[in-house]
Amino acid sequence: MESDSKSSGFNKQDRREFCRSCAKLSLGFVIATTFPASLLANKSASSYPPLKPPFKPGFEDNYRNKWTWDEVHLGTHNLNCWFQQNCLFHVYTKDGKITREEQVGNYPQTNEKVPDFNPRGCQKGCSYSDFMYSEARIKHPLKRTGERGEGKWEKISWDEALTGIADKTIQAIHENGTKSVVVDPGGNIVNYLSFYSLFRFFDFLDSTILDINCELGDDQQGAAVTYGEISNDRSGDDYFYSDLIFIWGGNPAYTQIPNFHFLTEAKYNGTKIVAISPDMNASAIKADYYVPVKPGTDSALANAMAHIIISEKLYNKHLLQEQTDLTFLVRSDNNKLLRESDVVKDGNKHVLYRWDNRKKRLEIPSQSSLKLHTDPAIEGEFIIATYQGELTVRPVFELLKDQLREFTPEKASEICGVAPETIRKLTMMLVNANAATNTCTSNFSKFYHGDLIMRSQILVFILAGHLGKKGDGFVTCSFLVADGGNKILNELELTKDLKYQYLFKYAAPFWMNFLKRKDWNQATYKYVLDSFVDSRFMANSTMFWNLHGGLIDISKRTNEWDPHLKRDIKEYIDEMLKKKWQVIDPPLSTDPKVYFSWAGNAIRRVRGSQKLLTNLWPKLDLVVALEMRMSSTATYADYILPVSGAYEKSTVMVANTNTLSPFFHTTQKAVENIGESKDEWEIACLLAKKIKERSRKLKIVNFKTARKKNRKFTEMYKSLTSFAKEKESELISKRMTEESTNLGGISWEKLKEQGYTRFTELGTNPASFGNACNIKKGETISPHTWHTEKKDVWTTLSGRIQFYIDHDWYLELNEQLPIHKDPPKAGGDHPFVLTGGHTRWSIHSLMRTDPGLLRLQRGEPFTLISVADARKNKLQDDEMVKIFNDVGYYFSRIKISTTVQPGQLIMYHGWESYQFKEGKSYRNVLASPLNPIEMVGDYPYLRPVMAVRQPGMSDRDTRVGIEKV
Amino acid sequence: METKQVAQVIDLNKCIGCQTCTVACKQLWTDEKGMEHMWWNIVNSMPGKGTPKDWETMGGGWKDGNLVYGRLPSKKEFGEAWNFNFNEVHYEGNKDKVQFKPIGDRPEWGPNWDEEQGAGQFPNSYYFNMPRLCNHCSKPACLAACPTKAIYKREQDGAVLIDDSICKGTKTCQMACPYKRIYLNEERNVSQKCIACFPRLEKSVAPACVRQCPGRARHFGFLEDENSQVHKLVHKWKVALPLHPEFNTQPNVFYIPPILPKTLNADGTINEENPRVPLSYLISLFGNEVEYSLKTIATEREKKGNSELMDLLISRKWHDMFKPFHQSPV
Repeated sequence: MESDSKSSGFNKQDRREFCRSCAKLSLGFVIATTFPASLLANKSASSYPPLKPPFKPGFEDNYRNKWTWDEVHLGTHNLNCWFQQNCLFHVYTKDGKITREEQVGNYPQTNEKVPDFNPRGCQKGCSYSDFMYSEARIKHPLKRTGERGEGKWEKISWDEALTGIADKTIQAIHENGTKSVVVDPGGNIVNYLSFYSLFRFFDFLDSTILDINCELGDDQQGAAVTYGEISNDRSGDDYFYSDLIFIWGGNPAYTQIPNFHFLTEAKYNGTKIVAISPDMNASAIKADYYVPVKPGTDSALANAMAHIIISEKLYNKHLLQEQTDLTFLVRSDNNKLLRESDVVKDGNKHVLYRWDNRKKRLEIPSQSSLKLHTDPAIEGEFIIATYQGELTVRPVFELLKDQLREFTPEKASEICGVAPETIRKLTMMLVNANAATNTCTSNFSKFYHGDLIMRSQILVFILAGHLGKKGDGFVTCSFLVADGGNKILNELELTKDLKYQYLFKYAAPFWMNFLKRKDWNQATYKYVLDSFVDSRFMANSTMFWNLHGGLIDISKRTNEWDPHLKRDIKEYIDEMLKKKWQVIDPPLSTDPKVYFSWAGNAIRRVRGSQKLLTNLWPKLDLVVALEMRMSSTATYADYILPVSGAYEKSTVMVANTNTLSPFFHTTQKAVENIGESKDEWEIACLLAKKIKERSRKLKIVNFKTARKKNRKFTEMYKSLTSFAKEKESELISKRMTEESTNLGGISWEKLKEQGYTRFTELGTNPASFGNACNIKKGETISPHTWHTEKKDVWTTLSGRIQFYIDHDWYLELNEQLPIHKDPPKAGGDHPFVLTGGHTRWSIHSLMRTDPGLLRLQRGEPFTLISVADARKNKLQDDEMVKIFNDVGYYFSRIKISTTVQPGQLIMYHGWESYQFKEGKSYRNVLASPLNPIEMVGDYPYLRPVMAVRQPGMSDRDTRVGIEKV
Repeated sequence: METKQVAQVIDLNKCIGCQTCTVACKQLWTDEKGMEHMWWNIVNSMPGKGTPKDWETMGGGWKDGNLVYGRLPSKKEFGEAWNFNFNEVHYEGNKDKVQFKPIGDRPEWGPNWDEEQGAGQFPNSYYFNMPRLCNHCSKPACLAACPTKAIYKREQDGAVLIDDSICKGTKTCQMACPYKRIYLNEERNVSQKCIACFPRLEKSVAPACVRQCPGRARHFGFLEDENSQVHKLVHKWKVALPLHPEFNTQPNVFYIPPILPKTLNADGTINEENPRVPLSYLISLFGNEVEYSLKTIATEREKKGNSELMDLLISRKWHDMFKPFHQSPV
């Protein structure tokens, strides 16, 4: 279509009509404001519309020229977007600068029945080029000149920075041991260069690498103890096969922007959507039914639904028999699962029983297949003969029935605020649906009793018969990883240290079944993960902040807030430490001395982080932040090292790739590094080189690891760069891609050309296994089909979906079955519950200070409050208030919204500390009581592994008061 | 050349308020000096005061065949482009003394100030997102109002453009536009607004706000083209409606009206009948036709996958939403 003519777009008839209208103009203008007479004088009715206006020829061309570019590259963003991760963009450059980015939009449609994935992307992705050139960008190495956090910096050379950092690191290791060096891996490790550099560098130094996943509240503890794995999700287009979708927790309209269309489109296709949430959030308004629930009481709702299904016998018995532990027998005398060691002298402690109704005798369920050959009892009471005499036993289902018998919708309604009739309606919708699912979310991991909530949710979905079909089943966390990264483990010094131990370990029968379907590489990986506690591969960050960072001063008050605890929280901690259930590093006898923030942002992130500044920071001789911009943590650093951005390097996205959009992405170098910034690999290599140089100078060449192995600082650079030198980071991404077994054998060159490729299999990274399904061409991804179709067992003690946990602490806390417990009054007995959530406006703290995006908000943090509460407290919209509780306070403007439940306040997350008055963030009121249930270990599958089943933090149960200032 | 008119249908049931359209437009067109405060496209929370504040009460358009000059929105009512005190906070030794915030007095309004504040009473409160941009009207009031003849409507696509090499910044167009979607560039003293991404249209590429919408809420095409989704939604199914048709400018942006969750009765039971958004409110926005549109959508949805209308709204193939403007920009 040519466009050189610039005539009016009216056809003749319109034009006549238009002129008539214009003629009337002269009869009477309706003028609502003052209007300069001189302008009026210029008007003449006959001039409308301008047919051949005397336009200057340049006007349209100016705009045409604006939409031009020199080069286009493919790129995506190394932000920790998790569920919405990875959108392919065209990145446009002009005169050596990125001008803008736009989604490519060439994802394939899986099949004709379902919508395609295009275009993917969001306002943050479209603002990335602004972010990379923004005032906030750190372009040179900086060294603080004032006190920590004072905001006084000098620009220094890379050499000066590396020397200062190397010297203090060497000295700390020499004087305080390797574990005194601590690294906090930030969200930036979604980019493989960051991930690889961090693990290679700090593994050599045998440092304390913090495992932050549970602290973040992304641990999905409920799934981890019930399914045994946390990753299980469907592809976005699989929603099309669901006829009922629960948005139960979470707010995907904010956190899954590129995926959300699958929900609205499924709805047009006839799918019903139910949203359950305290506030009527941006996702709830898209539902058919919005069900408000009191914060933290979703387990009451779920248990009442379970009550209905059981009392009205609406469950699918066969599914329960085949897939769950509800048939497993429990001793009536001590509530422990019946074990072979109870029945037979010297029997196996990990062998459990069912009762076979047909043969009227005990049976040992297969640990290799779920296939039913018998009719295991789900009801009844049995007296069995054992070597110690008779025992009375009942299937778990009987205990569940007992527990739920009194838990009627009426009773639950008093707790959760959902009307009994509405609970019944939801239950019947769920029971009657052919395929029902939910949108996965990490929301409930951020509640103190989030595990109980999630266990209860899984229970009600299973009771209603939903599992492992297209569009069917309860999902928890989305994760799908290219397994080329597994090989990094073989390069780790730690793996070399441990290589003979895992051979022995895998001789254990418990793992034989596991090995049948996994390869040896994976066994190596799995060993390191499963030997998590022994290997000290990573240390739990929640306990690090508590025990080394002083947060225990706050969380020791857990007993004040949680009336259900049987013992002092400190007793639980002591027992955990004594029994070595979790990894606590550095050892409590050693102070942390050096802290690297590897593009993380602990001061923004950690609940109660103000304590870290007073309790942890004084112990530290060195604080280093690798950063693109001034994060809260960087403001308290000694050195800031500038890291290059997503369009400045060639890398691949690893962590947080997921099934929702099952594509593996790369981002390509489109421009040179901004300022003096460098990619993570170059920084790691240069620092290793500097450590070699300085260790000679300081005459501290040798050091001993915590495992008492000798290492030399002088060998670090050589070890690190055996495969790729500092300027060769692309080789790392290339290798990662080409060594992956689940990317269809794509070459690096091809990936660079395409920008992405679809995953072809789950691959061999254990993080992906929980999905338990094949990925097939032309088919959407539906998790758990290995269990429902291939009858593969689950990775729990029972080999089934495990609802009954007889660990001593579970029994002590009465949490052996999913149960409702009232949320603790975290922070004291105050009238409001302060909830939160991930915002649509940032990816955690990244982009939180972006001026363009802040202009579309209110420029400052605000706390949402209901209309009723604002009125009651005589508060005006945008008024500054003080929000406080027993552990702290913060100032915030309020925003009054009709979507907020009375009694609730909402603080969306990600704000930097310095965006608040006095630098006091809302983190100051987050008491985050410690829940001992997350500390347990030494039980076949209830042990920490990387990112899972470790103590975490919580914030959604926070109680606060509000006052005018 | 036949006069052609491009049109947009925005599905308010699919719009999630993410403002990707807003940012996409900003990055492409309004990133120059003098344009910082401009949001040619913005998503408003409805009900709300919107952008500029209270625009619906400002007036403009046509009444009884006469051009109406409404009120001129102030810069403050649009929301200014706040700058932030990065240096003061980070590099001037102001530990915890200086808060990072917009420089100057506390702003009283912004382009998205009342985001999701909504109306009604919890739990039956309501709001929905409504993208707003120049309607490229068939009877553009701005064009009629311009004393310098800087505004014209293109024949090949119906885009209404302000030639800013002619514009003298009289602001008459801003007064006449009832949708208040025209901004003043103070640097250059010219009025500027959405250009329908005409350079992209010329290459058969959909506008940035359309093509970059991750919610897939925007259909685009020639309104006269019977094969286009916009034609089918506006003329065949009559479910897409213009906003404030009483302004009489014959806008070419149409909306699929929003259907929100069922309400709750006082006892917490679900009320299947009562719509969450009062029908009277939707009528005030989209006219009486909205009732037919809502009914048609609800009826067709019940056909569970056997409806041409639902297939259109779903649009399994993304490109179908904006054919023939489905070329890749690259």
